[in-house]
Amino acid sequence: MEFTTESLGNGIAVIRGDGRLNMVSGPALRETVKRRIDAGESRIVVDLSRVPFMDSSGLGALIGCLKSAREASGDLRIVAPSTQVAMVLTLSNVDRILTPYDSVEAAYRD
Amino acid sequence: MTEKRSSLVFTTPPDDVDAVHGFLETVWSANPEVSDLERMAFETALIELATNVIQHAGGAGGVTCVLSVTADENGLAATLADTADAGGIVLMGREMPDALSESGRGIPLIQALVDELRYERIDDRNVWTITRGRAG
Repeated sequence: MEFTTESLGNGIAVIRGDGRLNMVSGPALRETVKRRIDAGESRIVVDLSRVPFMDSSGLGALIGCLKSAREASGDLRIVAPSTQVAMVLTLSNVDRILTPYDSVEAAYRD
Repeated sequence: MTEKRSSLVFTTPPDDVDAVHGFLETVWSANPEVSDLERMAFETALIELATNVIQHAGGAGGVTCVLSVTADENGLAATLADTADAGGIVLMGREMPDALSESGRGIPLIQALVDELRYERIDDRNVWTITRGRAG
């Protein structure tokens, strides 16, 4: 799976993937987020609307990216998870630190 | 409904969990009576199991797995037999780790999603079985 990035200004970068987030694609997500943080964009939005499936390896990558963003005084927020992704978030007790937003616009409205 | 059993052999590397996803698509096509919720829960558990086997057993020489999935009136069952050495994965007493942990969720997720997770060592094979009874 390849990830695309879009800079929204104000330190915000949107990262979009199209495919499954798992042990195969997780490292690519980590690398994509790291590049944005290194470029000064530590307010990360991961748009999951085209990610039909995520396993615990993919979730581990997301959480690693969240920690990297916070260490850079930013944050990572997720948008539009599928039913399966939302199930994994809930069962893993991480929906508190990775609260889904409805849209990219809503993710950094505050 | 008659029992339907399908099998997949995969070797990693080069195969990975995407081979299991692709195989499950054919299983679901052949078993349209399995609900979306059942598919989602079972596929998540099976992918976690396959990922664990690949990660823990995929040292020198990789690992070959034989996966069989059965769908019948009782529900869904999968058996995954791999060629790795014994004892790579600890099943018991696994709890969901802290929210900020980046690993350790695979086995707890499986246990949350299926009715049974069993391990046996049979003839130089690790044999993993998961079953999920039909809801309702």
